[in-house]
Amino acid sequence: MVTIFTTDFFFSIFRIATPILFATLAAVIGEKGGVSNIGLEGIMMISALFGSLTAYWTQSWFIGLLIALIVGCGVALLMGFFAFNLKTDIILTGTAVNMIGSGGTLFLVKVITQATEGKSLASTTSLITKSLQIPSWNIPLISSIPVLGKVISGHSILTYLAFLLVWLTWVLLYRTPLGLNIRSVGENPNAASSVGVSVLKIRYITIAITGVLAGFGGAYMSMYYAMGWSLDMVAGRGFIALAAQAMGAGEPLGSMFAALIFGFAQALGIKISAMGVDSNLVAPIPYIVTIISLVIFAVVQRNNEKKRHSAEALQK
Amino acid sequence: MNKKNSLKFTLIRGAAALGIALLVAFLLIIVSAQGNTFGAKMSNSFAALREMLISPMFRKNGSFSLKNFCDVLAGMIPILFTGLATCVMFSANQFNLGAEGGIMLGAFVTSLVAIYVKIPGPLLPIVAIAIGALSVGVMMLIPSVLKAKLGVSEMVNSLMLNYVVMYFINYLMNSYLADTSKGITQTYPYQSNALLPQMIDNGSRLSWGWAVGIVCVILVWLFMYRTRWGYSIRMAGINADFTKYSGMNTFLIIVLSQVIGGILAGMGGGIETLGRYTEYNWSSLPGYGWTGITVAILAGNNPAFVPLAAFFMSYLTKGCTLMATNAGVPAQLISIIQAVIFIFFAAKQFLSGYRQKLVVQSAQEEIAAAKAAEGGSN
Repeated sequence: MVTIFTTDFFFSIFRIATPILFATLAAVIGEKGGVSNIGLEGIMMISALFGSLTAYWTQSWFIGLLIALIVGCGVALLMGFFAFNLKTDIILTGTAVNMIGSGGTLFLVKVITQATEGKSLASTTSLITKSLQIPSWNIPLISSIPVLGKVISGHSILTYLAFLLVWLTWVLLYRTPLGLNIRSVGENPNAASSVGVSVLKIRYITIAITGVLAGFGGAYMSMYYAMGWSLDMVAGRGFIALAAQAMGAGEPLGSMFAALIFGFAQALGIKISAMGVDSNLVAPIPYIVTIISLVIFAVVQRNNEKKRHSAEALQK
Repeated sequence: MNKKNSLKFTLIRGAAALGIALLVAFLLIIVSAQGNTFGAKMSNSFAALREMLISPMFRKNGSFSLKNFCDVLAGMIPILFTGLATCVMFSANQFNLGAEGGIMLGAFVTSLVAIYVKIPGPLLPIVAIAIGALSVGVMMLIPSVLKAKLGVSEMVNSLMLNYVVMYFINYLMNSYLADTSKGITQTYPYQSNALLPQMIDNGSRLSWGWAVGIVCVILVWLFMYRTRWGYSIRMAGINADFTKYSGMNTFLIIVLSQVIGGILAGMGGGIETLGRYTEYNWSSLPGYGWTGITVAILAGNNPAFVPLAAFFMSYLTKGCTLMATNAGVPAQLISIIQAVIFIFFAAKQFLSGYRQKLVVQSAQEEIAAAKAAEGGSN
C-alpha cells in the first residue's frame, strides 16, 4: 500500500485531473446557462488536433494553444448556430460534433499531413517535441517544501490555470452581471427575456465559453499530457466531465472535487496496472466510478430533499 | 399544411440536407485529392466522387455490380438493428447512447455460446443470438432503472457502460478466451452449425440475418404503432407529463424502451458476428451504434423508414471505402458526411422560411376552394 501512495502518485492525480477539470468547468457553465454541451468530447479532440499541428508549424506552443482555443470556440459557436437558430436538439448537435471528433479528425489529420508533409500520418505524436510542450512551472519556495513541494510544484502552467479557473468560474457566475444573466437564462429564459436580457446572445456567450474551456482541455491533452494527437485520445474525458458536473451539483468547487476523484481513480488504475495487473481490468475504473458516484450523488440528493420536505412540513 | 405540400416539404428538405452534405464532402475531397496542377486535382476529385457515389452499385463500364451491391446490403445488417434500437429509445425521449456497447456485448456473448455450448443443428445460432440479445437487455437495466428510480442521466451512464463493456470484453479475451495459436487476439472458431446461412454466397457475407432484420423492422413498427405499449412509449416522448397524469406507468415505459433497445442492439451484434465471421475478434467499439443514431434520425424515429436510411448509410460507407482504396481519399470522410447530414436532418428550423410559404400557400388554396364551393352552392 505504501508503495502506491507516493508523492509521484499524488502528483499524477493533478496531472490527470487537469483536462477533466477544464471540461468539467465547461459543463458547469453550460448547465448553469441551460446549454447541455455533450460535444465537449468532440471539441477537445478537434482542438487537440489543431493545437498540436499549429504548434508544429509555427514551432511555438503558445500559438498552438491559442489556435486550440479559437478552434474550440469556433466549433462551439457553430454548435450554437445549429442548436439555437436552426433548433437542432442540443444533444444531437453534440453527438454530431463527437462524430467529427472521432472519425473526422482522423480524416483531417491524414489529409492535412499528406498535404504538408507528403506523408499521411495517423497521429501527430512525432511532431510535438519537448520544446513544443506547454511549459511546466517549478514554483519557487513551494518546490523546496518536502513532500508537498513534489506534489504541487512542477505541473504544467495549464494545471495551475485550471484550478485558478475554478475560482474565476465562481466569480463569473456569482459576482458579475454576465454570470447573473447566464444563470437567469438557464433557470428561466422567458423571465430573463421579459426583463430585457437577450437570451440568444447569452446562450451564444455561454456555449462559446464552454468551447474555449474545452479547447484548453484539448490543448493540454495533445501538447502536454500525450505529446501529440492520436485517434480517440480524449477517451471519454468529455463525458466524464458531464458526470463530474452532476456530482458537484453544478457548482464550480464541488465539481472540482468530483474531477479530482476521477483523477484519483485513473491514477490508481495506472499504478495498479504498473504492478502487473491487466490494463483492461483497470482502464474501466474511472467509468465505473462515474456510474457509482452518480448513483450515490442522486441518492444523497434525494434524501436531502426528503429531509427538507419533512422539516418544512414540521414548521407549518 | 395539406398532405401533398407536407410530403413535398419533407422531400425537398431531405434533398437539401443531402445536397449540403455532398457539397461539404466534395470540398473536402478537393482538399485531399492528389495532383500538382489544378486540372489534375479536379479530375482526381471527380474520380473520387464518382467512386463514392456510383461504384457501390455499378462497375467502371457502367454495368451493375452484384458483388458491390451485396456488400451494401450486407453492410445494412448491423445498422438496421442499432437504428431500430435507437428509434425505440429516442421515441421515448430516452437519450441512451448504449447501442454501441450493446452491439459489441451482444456479438461477444453470442460468440461464447456459439463456441462453447453444444446444441444440435440450427437451434444453436437461434439460442446463441437470443442469449446475446437478452444479455444486452439486462445491461440496459442499469441506465434505465437508474434513470427511472433516481433520475440519473441515462445518457452519461450508457456512454460510460460502452467503455466498461469494451474493456471487460478485452480483459476476458486477453486472459481467458483467446486462441493463443493465432497472431491476433481472437477466439476459437464457432461450431460449424452456428454460422448463419448466406442468402447469396459470393463472399459479400450477405446472410439471412438481413431478412431477419427486415422482419424485425416490421415487428418493431407493429409494436410502436399498433400496440398499447408502443403508444405509451411514443407518448412519453411527445409529452412526458401527459403520460404521467393520465396514469400510464412511466417507470415501466422508461425501462421497457431501453431494454427493448438493448435487445435489438444485442441481436444485431449476434447476427452480424455469426453471419460475417467465423470467430470473434472485435477489440474496440465497432461504431455501429453511432451510425444507428444517424439512421434513426434520418428515419425520423419511425421504424418503417429504417431500412431506407440504413441502406443509404451503408451505401455511403461502402462508397467511402471504395474511394479510399481507389482514389486515395481517407475513408473516415464518412464521419464528417454523417455528422453534416445528421445535424441538418435534426434541425427543426432548417428551411423554415420555405415551410412557412408552403403553409400559407395551402391555406390560401383551401380558402379559395371553400369560396369556390360557396359560390357553387349559391
